[in-house]
Amino acid sequence: MSAIQYGQSAQERTNESSVLVWDWGVRVFHWGLAVCVGICAYTGFLGPRNWLNVHLVVGVMIAALVAFRVVWGWFGSTYARFESFAISPSAMKRHVREIALGQCRRIHLGHNPLGAAMIYAMLVVLFLLVASGVVALGGALKQGPLAFTLAFANGSLARQIHELLAIALLFMILAHLAGVAFESWWTSEDLVRAMVTGRKREISSGSVQSNRARPWGAAAVMVIIAAAVTPGVILLSNLPARGVPQGPLDPTYARECGSCHFAYPPSLAPSGTWTAVMGGLRDHFGENASLDAGTTVQLREWLVDNAGEHWDTRAANMFSRVSPTEPLRITATPAWLWFHQDLPDKIFTSPAIGAKGACGACHQDAATARFDPQQIAIPKETKP
Amino acid sequence: MSKTATTKTLITLTYLLGSVTLVLAAAGPAQKLVLEHYAVEAKANNAAFSGFSAERGKALFVSQSTTGKPDTPSCTACHTTNPRQSGRTRAGKEIDPMALSVKTDRYGDIAKTEKWFGRNCDSVLGRPCTPLEKGDFITFMVNQ
Repeated sequence: MSAIQYGQSAQERTNESSVLVWDWGVRVFHWGLAVCVGICAYTGFLGPRNWLNVHLVVGVMIAALVAFRVVWGWFGSTYARFESFAISPSAMKRHVREIALGQCRRIHLGHNPLGAAMIYAMLVVLFLLVASGVVALGGALKQGPLAFTLAFANGSLARQIHELLAIALLFMILAHLAGVAFESWWTSEDLVRAMVTGRKREISSGSVQSNRARPWGAAAVMVIIAAAVTPGVILLSNLPARGVPQGPLDPTYARECGSCHFAYPPSLAPSGTWTAVMGGLRDHFGENASLDAGTTVQLREWLVDNAGEHWDTRAANMFSRVSPTEPLRITATPAWLWFHQDLPDKIFTSPAIGAKGACGACHQDAATARFDPQQIAIPKETKP
Repeated sequence: MSKTATTKTLITLTYLLGSVTLVLAAAGPAQKLVLEHYAVEAKANNAAFSGFSAERGKALFVSQSTTGKPDTPSCTACHTTNPRQSGRTRAGKEIDPMALSVKTDRYGDIAKTEKWFGRNCDSVLGRPCTPLEKGDFITFMVNQ
């Protein structure tokens, strides 16, 4: 970084018409956050489910950026510091009144009082987004540092909160952009350019950086935070996930049932389904699949003992609601239909997949009953 | 075993299996035992039994049925018309080819053949297959 950005006021005044307002920390934070939020919004709202890892990695980057911005609120230069833009309802009222009356087109070198409130609100919402995301990931998908302890119900609720917060953030971004557009017009100060170059027009001799940034102090705090958080996250992420079946399928089940169809892990259906299926093998989804009596009893008991009620995976929870018309068919459950609604029917009959029940054709972790979004790989040959 | 006894055994086997033994060049000992089992049953059902026929087996394999379950109107619905080719279950699972030349451990375990004839004859024909049909079917397949 050049001396201008960290230098004394005399050096900063080498450019008589402008003054450095946004130091590099603020600018890197701002544009980095803009890109990261854009990526997370795309992967969260629109992107394919198996892009979840991009969402997660960029989400972690947002967490790091927010942490950095908070640290920079103490270690940054004058206008980066929280003390320079404290929330003040009276200042906000005055600012609105001035605009309404067209009285004073004052250029705020740092954040104007409304903008300041927006910065804090965004930081809080971003923090809550990261927190709800980690809870959703742990509870609903049994991934990440909280997978060992959170129930599906917790994760499911967090997932909804995460989505509402994301929508709220999008509206805040719109308000932010509208505010930037308005203030740029109102004050004739190009705020977008200012966030790129860091410089604004000088408005008075006092409008200079009085506090220097302390990047090494900020770096030290960031290193301490990373050192404190990272090992814990890694350690917790490696604990066994709560309510996720471990170990292989019963070998008799895998052999007998797996000879005609994907050997559905028993957690994919409630015990009532398995009892009914094993009681009706003579007409098993339109075919005779009889087994000898001993094997039938043995497999029924194993299936019931390991049925959906005993597990807490997303599939175990969501497939517990069966279809009213075809209660035994997993691919007719409301949840299955919802998850696969965007896929054209012909994809399932394509040679690479064969049938709706061939879970493993696309879900690479189907045998584990996890059905992680990251493990979805629709065979290329299915595409026209 | 004396020479006479051996000759007698051979004559009995030839009588039971008829010409089948001769065309079973492809079948291993296990397949021959299974066929022998069905030949004994076929003979018990019908004294005029004179051996299995690959032709009849083929006709059964490719025939269309209206008496079974609607989703499985023929063997070929899942196994395809080419026994040397893999088939596919309605649930999307690949089925190994039916031809013994391609899948060499087929038709060598009577419990297994009974299990699958039991299931699939009911699914396709809506009734159990006769020992004659089973023997004809296997005779066709071991020569494929």
